[in-house]
Amino acid sequence: MRDNLLINLALVFIPFSLTSIGGGAAIIAGLQNETVNVHGWLTEAEFIHLFAVSRSAPGPGTMLATAIGWKVAGWAGALAASLAFFLPSSLLCYAVFRMTNTHREKEWHLIMREGLAPIGTGLIIAGVVSLFRVAEGGILALAIASLSCALFYWKPRFPVLIVLALGGIAAVIVSSWPKFLPAFDIG
Amino acid sequence: MSQSEAFRPLQRPSLPTLFMLCFKIGILSFGGGLSGWIYQEFVLRKRLLNEDDFASSMAIAQMLPGANVVNLVICIGEQLRGPLGSTTCFLGFLIGPFFAVIALYNVFDLLADVELLPVAFNGIAFAAIGLLLLTCIEGTRRAMRFPPSVAVIGVTAFLIGVLQWPLIPVVLAMAPFSIALAWKKR
Repeated sequence: MRDNLLINLALVFIPFSLTSIGGGAAIIAGLQNETVNVHGWLTEAEFIHLFAVSRSAPGPGTMLATAIGWKVAGWAGALAASLAFFLPSSLLCYAVFRMTNTHREKEWHLIMREGLAPIGTGLIIAGVVSLFRVAEGGILALAIASLSCALFYWKPRFPVLIVLALGGIAAVIVSSWPKFLPAFDIG
Repeated sequence: MSQSEAFRPLQRPSLPTLFMLCFKIGILSFGGGLSGWIYQEFVLRKRLLNEDDFASSMAIAQMLPGANVVNLVICIGEQLRGPLGSTTCFLGFLIGPFFAVIALYNVFDLLADVELLPVAFNGIAFAAIGLLLLTCIEGTRRAMRFPPSVAVIGVTAFLIGVLQWPLIPVVLAMAPFSIALAWKKR
């Protein structure tokens, strides 16, 4: 039973590993669907919580895989999900790097890069849409996300931890001010 | 190491040196900007890699699936010390964040009784979405040079984000189409 869970975790993460073009942000929409709707391992609130944890941790944003594995099946789950998520894409990258390094100036290489780039961006937008839907934060979510985006746009070197903390503080202030947003309700 | 002359590093670091360098970047890099860190350490400070090798590794790392920065350290590891170098960089880079994310989850869990905490977490997540928004804006701006790319962005985002179609089949269907568009452009 438990082995099945680990295998299922691996089976969910391996395909995402090989399709996460443009980095981890691209797979958030799909990952949310698999873990919440298809397998029922997490509730939507737990998913958004794990997302917040993984974004405040160091390392690539895709440490979300480790966090999900940990939540679903403890240390073994964390290890299974991390390996299933990071190993396949890494092996592919290693193989491709060795093979194509000599062709990097060639035209097909450039065309492939240009063709894949907009798909990566589209996937990130899809991830943002699905996060907004899951978070159910309404106008507050939009306002905090836009402000933090604007801040990073004009001050790219601004420490991320501070911006994230400010987002948390802003949410607390607004929610403890009932008249400001009467229908505001966070699950 | 059967590396060609062109990719011979300026210096050949030992495996423990590589491991510690990647470990340091992994554990300290809160909230992104990781490629910038790697550039600082490998190219500017330790002079293990020249600018061209870094840039070409970066292109491949971004093009392929997987976390860009993990792909990047794998390419760098291969150039510096071959397969063992790649393995060392991969492990060194991920081991810190692996324990950090679990530790952080438990810290958050310990504080779960605090009533306003879920509210604060949501706020943190909203702010983190801002980072993604910026990525969307920059990606779309780059695509503006070739309008069909913007359509590819829109269709991909709509099918997966709005209609919630499964991601993998959509990507597999869109990729040849988008690459064909890029090919026709030339």
